[in-house]
Amino acid sequence: MSDNKQAVVEIDRSAYDFKDVENEKDFYRLKEGLNEETVLKVSEEKNDPEWMREFRLKCLKLYNEMDMPDWGPSVEGLDMDKISSYVRHKEDMKGSWEDVPEDIKNTFERLGIPQAERESLAGVGAQYDSELVYHNVKDEVAAQGVIYTDIESALRTEYADMIKSHFMKLLTPTDHKMMALHGAVWSGGSFVYVPKGVKVDIPLQSYFRLNAAGAGQFEHTLIIVDEGADLHFIEGCSAPKYNVANLHSGCVELYVGKNARLRYSTIENWSKNMYNLNSKRAIVEENGIMEWVSGSFGSHTSYLYPMTILKGDHSKMEFTGITFAGKGQNLDTGAKVVHQGVGTTSVINSKSISKDGGIGTYRSSVVIQSSAKKAKASVSCDSLMLDSISRADTIPGMDIRTDDADVGHEAKIGRISDEAVFYLMSRGLSEEDAKAMIVSGFANPVSKELPLEYAVEMNNLIKLEMGGH
Amino acid sequence: MNKNLDMRVNVLPALTYNFLHVNDSKIKEDSVGIDFLATPDAENVPEGVTVDRGVSYKEAGKLFEDAKERINVDLGIPGDPNGDTSGRDKAQAIRTGMGIDIENLMLESGALTDVFTVNEGVKTQKPIIIRYNLADGAGSLTSQIIHAKKDSEVTVIMDYTSERNASGFHGISTRLLAEEGAKINLVKTQTLGDGFIHFDDIGGACFNKGAINIVSLELGAKKSWNGCYINLCEEETQFVSNQGYLVRDSHTMDINYVADQRGKKTDVLMNVKGVLMDKAVKTYRGTLDFKSGSSGSVGDEQEDTLLLSPDVVNRSMPLILCQEEDVEGRHGATIGQLGEDLLFYINSRGIDEKEAKRLMVRAKLDSVARLIPDPEIAEKVQYYISTIV
Repeated sequence: MSDNKQAVVEIDRSAYDFKDVENEKDFYRLKEGLNEETVLKVSEEKNDPEWMREFRLKCLKLYNEMDMPDWGPSVEGLDMDKISSYVRHKEDMKGSWEDVPEDIKNTFERLGIPQAERESLAGVGAQYDSELVYHNVKDEVAAQGVIYTDIESALRTEYADMIKSHFMKLLTPTDHKMMALHGAVWSGGSFVYVPKGVKVDIPLQSYFRLNAAGAGQFEHTLIIVDEGADLHFIEGCSAPKYNVANLHSGCVELYVGKNARLRYSTIENWSKNMYNLNSKRAIVEENGIMEWVSGSFGSHTSYLYPMTILKGDHSKMEFTGITFAGKGQNLDTGAKVVHQGVGTTSVINSKSISKDGGIGTYRSSVVIQSSAKKAKASVSCDSLMLDSISRADTIPGMDIRTDDADVGHEAKIGRISDEAVFYLMSRGLSEEDAKAMIVSGFANPVSKELPLEYAVEMNNLIKLEMGGH
Repeated sequence: MNKNLDMRVNVLPALTYNFLHVNDSKIKEDSVGIDFLATPDAENVPEGVTVDRGVSYKEAGKLFEDAKERINVDLGIPGDPNGDTSGRDKAQAIRTGMGIDIENLMLESGALTDVFTVNEGVKTQKPIIIRYNLADGAGSLTSQIIHAKKDSEVTVIMDYTSERNASGFHGISTRLLAEEGAKINLVKTQTLGDGFIHFDDIGGACFNKGAINIVSLELGAKKSWNGCYINLCEEETQFVSNQGYLVRDSHTMDINYVADQRGKKTDVLMNVKGVLMDKAVKTYRGTLDFKSGSSGSVGDEQEDTLLLSPDVVNRSMPLILCQEEDVEGRHGATIGQLGEDLLFYINSRGIDEKEAKRLMVRAKLDSVARLIPDPEIAEKVQYYISTIV
């Protein structure tokens, strides 16, 4: 156990919170606020095709017409007039770590990204503020026909039509105000295409770093896994903490083909001044499988509910998620699923932990449409309260429109059992260590779904939060 | 008197996605005829129970106004983190499941309240029975208060019925106060005709070791709303509810049950069993709300819904809100048709699928009907169920 104790001491928030001071002359920063001028400026920076420029302007109009939702955590502290929608380094994206500007390279080195790429990844994309600064995919993966690049570059290749026909078609600007905002000022992100029958054995990863204060990050991730293909995609996010609000409003659109499988794993550790108003949606064809693994640790306020549309017959979805809400955090997370196809299956397993005044809300919806005969849905959500100044809410919704469905739901809220703590203390652990061990066990169903390196990172984050740093 | 109804009721205690259409419900009806404003005579009123008949809704409500601070003790918690979902209902001295629009309707319409006061230490043996036999075209809007004083116990049955093909309007508000060690058993059975619009709104509070038990069977009416908000404001208070419903044809049913657990060691059990047939639409909201200070409390909510047609719509919102570490909250839901294993077993006993379904529907609803403490009404309800299925 002494090793574990050592680990608690060794982990330091500075692993994520460190600030690399951005030298103004090296960075281009759009002035704060959102209007037609700023949107056109982003479009000009991106060298958008005409259709994209028009699309951005339509989205801005929608944004101005829409209201924020009347449910969920307050976003009063978020003032778009104080957010810069676009910040980039003046250097272009590189294909080699050596060529990445020194200051940015140092950031990613400290986050361990190049090392992870060497050891366990098939490809890496690294976004710093509004732009990708590095993108690379291993030769043997590229040789299989796998495309992993930034969307802006792909828009100027033979994949332009594919992007145009999929971009914001699954998550549309009319879905909600943040999607309209995203459509207006999106920048960066990744495009992945896995051709028919190709199975990518080791994961691809995108890492998003928002280093600038008072800025927004609006990356767009579009992944198409064609018929019979298989991919594991990992997304990581972090930012240093500032005293002003930052905004993350990314958009993730995932297309899972017939008999294909996509696993999308996220370890989110944004700083605690971040408004994480992110949207993710997948559509799954016949016999396809969508798997979500999600760990939410950071952010001041989160709205995050990955949604899956089980369109094809016998398609499946599994969501495994954990949320740790600490001091000053209001994390509203969960999952949504729509069953359309016959014999579709969904399994949602969610864990949430609230501590030091944190608010953790599990929110979900399971919709079974009349066409989804023989659909099965199972939802399980457990919440752990670590003190009486915190809050844990579960707000699950179910809408069932056929008798030929089987839906089960269970939820539990409780505390760490005194007996378990007493038992561990009788084996020589301090109360703090005993509780940390129980919380790690509580999170185990999620960590075991992650590759080893990421499971270790997640456990470290739990220990860090338990230590109250 | 004719009234145009336009009310927002059954507000979910924590709002969620609007596309689910569960955040509230609307009662919007034009020119509803209301001709009865007084509760029918109660039967079996024993010694030790006084009935003040025909008190104005406002005057009767003073009981709760006087105890408002004790019921809605200020917990010193800043704003609701999931939005102020039913802030307007906080103006009610005793909150009800359907909310303040029902209270306003009662006040505006001049509905009269019968106040049943059970004297200290009195434990009634036979249930008090209030029967509503409504004729075709009837419009009824009535109110009751059941006030059980210290260490008393009372059982009240309210039975609403009419001919199967009758139409009309039936609205009812029942408010409950169980003082120290007192227990209120409230049983409501509804077998109104297929053209009826019906709502049943309940609000209650329990003081130290007080308890409220509710049994509710909703079997008829074209459109039906049920609300219940029980405030367990002091220590070792208890709320148990057993609900059963049958919704069929193109009928709709909308439910909002809330257990507001404020005192230490409160205990809540909410069981809901229902059957949906034909083109029925049902929305169920059930909330366990563990407020700060409710340490040692437990809450359990179980929902079991049987779907018997491909055209039904079932919406369920089982919420657990928690601002206290030392509590245990659980929710379980099972929604679907009869299990294949069960059907196979019943078939192997020589019973066909149609008969098997009939048996299971009866078994599900009879398990609630058996809790009715009056054999005659229990038998009537069970017969009604058998004729439907």
